[in-house]
Amino acid sequence: MATVEYRRIGKSYGAVEVLKELDLTVEDGTFVVLLGASGCGKTTLLRMTAGLETISAGELSIDGKVVNTVHPRDRDVAMVFQNYALYPTMTVRENIGFSLEVAKKSKAEVAEMVENAARVLNLTEYLDRKPAALSGGQRQRVAMGRAMVRNAKVFLFDEPLSNLDAKLRAHMRVEIRQLHNRLGATTIYVTHDQIEAMTMADRIVLMKDGSIVQEGSPDDLYDRPNSLFVAEFIGTPQINSLEGRIVDDGGSPAFETGGIHVALPAGYGAHTGRRVICGIRPSDVTLDPDGPLRGTMSIAEKTGADVQFYVDIDGREFVAVAPRASYVSAGTTLAFAVAPEKLHMFDAETGRRIEL
Amino acid sequence: MKLGVLSPDRPFIWMLPLIAILIAFTIIPLFYNIWLSFHEYAPFKRALEPVGLKNWSLLLSDERMWEALGTTILYFVVVLTAEVVLGMGIALLLDTEEFGFGFLRTVLTLTLVVPPAIVGMMYLLIEDPEFGVLTYVLDAAGLLDKATPILSTASTALWGVMLADIWQWTPFMVLIFLAGLRSLPPEPYEAAMLDGASAVMTFRRITLPLLNKVIAVAILIRGIDVFRMFDYVFVMTSGGPGTSTYTLSLYAWQQTFSFIKWGYGATLSLFTLAIILIVANLFIYIAKVRW
Repeated sequence: MATVEYRRIGKSYGAVEVLKELDLTVEDGTFVVLLGASGCGKTTLLRMTAGLETISAGELSIDGKVVNTVHPRDRDVAMVFQNYALYPTMTVRENIGFSLEVAKKSKAEVAEMVENAARVLNLTEYLDRKPAALSGGQRQRVAMGRAMVRNAKVFLFDEPLSNLDAKLRAHMRVEIRQLHNRLGATTIYVTHDQIEAMTMADRIVLMKDGSIVQEGSPDDLYDRPNSLFVAEFIGTPQINSLEGRIVDDGGSPAFETGGIHVALPAGYGAHTGRRVICGIRPSDVTLDPDGPLRGTMSIAEKTGADVQFYVDIDGREFVAVAPRASYVSAGTTLAFAVAPEKLHMFDAETGRRIEL
Repeated sequence: MKLGVLSPDRPFIWMLPLIAILIAFTIIPLFYNIWLSFHEYAPFKRALEPVGLKNWSLLLSDERMWEALGTTILYFVVVLTAEVVLGMGIALLLDTEEFGFGFLRTVLTLTLVVPPAIVGMMYLLIEDPEFGVLTYVLDAAGLLDKATPILSTASTALWGVMLADIWQWTPFMVLIFLAGLRSLPPEPYEAAMLDGASAVMTFRRITLPLLNKVIAVAILIRGIDVFRMFDYVFVMTSGGPGTSTYTLSLYAWQQTFSFIKWGYGATLSLFTLAIILIVANLFIYIAKVRW
C-alpha cells in the first residue's frame, strides 16, 4: 500500500518531449485510470512508474521514497501488460508462482498461494498448461494472477483488456474492480477506453499530448468537463457541440445559433455577446414539441432500452437519446428541450469551460 | 507457348540436375564405400580382393581405432562444451543496442572466413616452443615450462589443437545465439524484472528455455563437424606425438592414403558415419529438434 507521487515528471526521447512537467498524486489505496488517446504518454508514464523507462526530469516517489533510479525489481510494483507478457516456457502454475519462487517462499506456501489465485480467477483446471494452449481471456487472467500473488505496493495495468472481446471485457472490468476492492492496493490503470475509465476508476486522469487535461472523479469529468476536449472524450454517444453566441433574450441570457434560442442559467448574463460552443449531452435532452432544438430526423438507431435519433439541426448533426417507446421512423421532424443547468458552455477560441 | 515436358506441372525434369549431383557425389560414393569395406587392396596383385567381414572384425579389435575413438570423443566433448559456453557468454555480452556493438558483431564473422588449415598454421606459430606467443605467456605465468613444447608433448598436444578449433568456431556459436537472443520478445524480461528476478535467475528460467531449440540446432550442426575433425590435427600435429592426437578421421586417412588399405579406411569412415548418424538422431529425438 503506498501513495505514488509524480513531481514535474518529464520524459523525452532525444528532441521529442512525450511527457511535460507532469504533477500527479495517486493516493494510497485508490484506483486511478490514466485515460487518453494513443500517443498521449499514458503508457510511458506507467512504464516509468514500473522502472521500465528512465525518467528524464522530475521526481517519482512511491510510499514517500524517491525511486527515480531504483531498479524495477526493488520498487515492489506488480504490472499486468497489454500483451500479458507471460513466460512462454512455463506452465500457468509456474507463471503465477514465479515471483514467489524468486522471493524464496517455501514450496508449500507457493503452491497454496498459486492455487488460491487460480481459484479466484477460475484457472484451476488450466494450471498445468503452457500459455500457448490458453485463450486470450485465460492468458489475461494468468497475467492477473501473477500480479495478484505479489502483494505489491502498487499495481499497474497497461490496457489489459484491449485484446479481449466485448463481452469478456465487460466481465473482466468487474473482476479487476472486485480484485481492487478486496486487496485495497494502490492501482494505476492505463486505457484509451472511456467506458473502462468511467466504470472502474475512483479518479480519472485524462491526458493529451503529454500533459494532464483534467483530473477528477468520473462524475467530475462527466458533469463538469473543464474543456471541450474532455467533454468530447467522455461519454457515449459523444456530446453534441453547437457553435454560436450568448445573447440577451429579453433580460435573461440565451444561447443562439442560426435562429435557435436555448435559455441559459442567469449567471451567463455576464458573458453576453461572447462566442461560445454549447455542449449538450445526447442523454440530457427530452422530446418536447415546444422545445427549441428542432430538426428533421435522418436515422433512428435502436440500442435496446433506448433509441438514438440523428437529427439535422440547422445543417449540423445532432444526436439525442430517447426511450424506446418514442421511436418514430426517419424523416419526421422532432423537437427537443434541455434543462438550462445541463448545458456546458465553452469558449469558442480556447475551448475552456466558462464557469458560472 | 507450349512448354510440354518443361512445364512447371512436371517438376521432375527440373529436379534432374540436383538428383544427378546427389547420385554422382553422395549416393555412388556411399555405396562404393560400403562395397569397399568388404574388400581390401592387395598391393602385389594391384587389385581389390573380397575379404568378407575381415575389415569389420579388425576394426573392433584394433587398439589404435579405440584410442582414436577415445581421442575423438574427448576432443568432441571439450571443444563443443567450450564453444557452447563461451559462445553463449559472448553472445549475452554483445546482445545490446549500445553504440559500437554492431561493429563487434561484424568483426566476429572474420574467423569464420579463414580456412581451418590456415588457422592450424597460425596456431602452430602461436604455440611454437621457440617464439610462440602462447608459449611465452604460459611460461611467464609459470603455468608451463618452455621445455615442454605444447604440440609435441603427448599430454598437451590435443589441448593445443582444441584451442585452434575453439578460437575459430566460438564466433559461429556467438552468431547463432545472438540471432536467437535478438529474436526473443522483450516482454517476459520486463515481467521478470518486476517479479524481482535476478539476472542469473532470468537467464536460467527464461532465456535458456526460450533458446533451447536454437542451442540444440547449434550443438547438432557443430557437433557433427567436430566429430569429423581433420584439418587442425593434420596441419598441427599429424596425429603426434606418437599416436596421441589421432582422431578417427585422421586415422582413416592414414590407413587409406599412407598405408594404402582402402578397404579398412572405408570401414573406418563408415564406422564414423554410423556413430554420427546414431548419436545425431538420438540427440534430435531427445532434444525434440524440429526442422
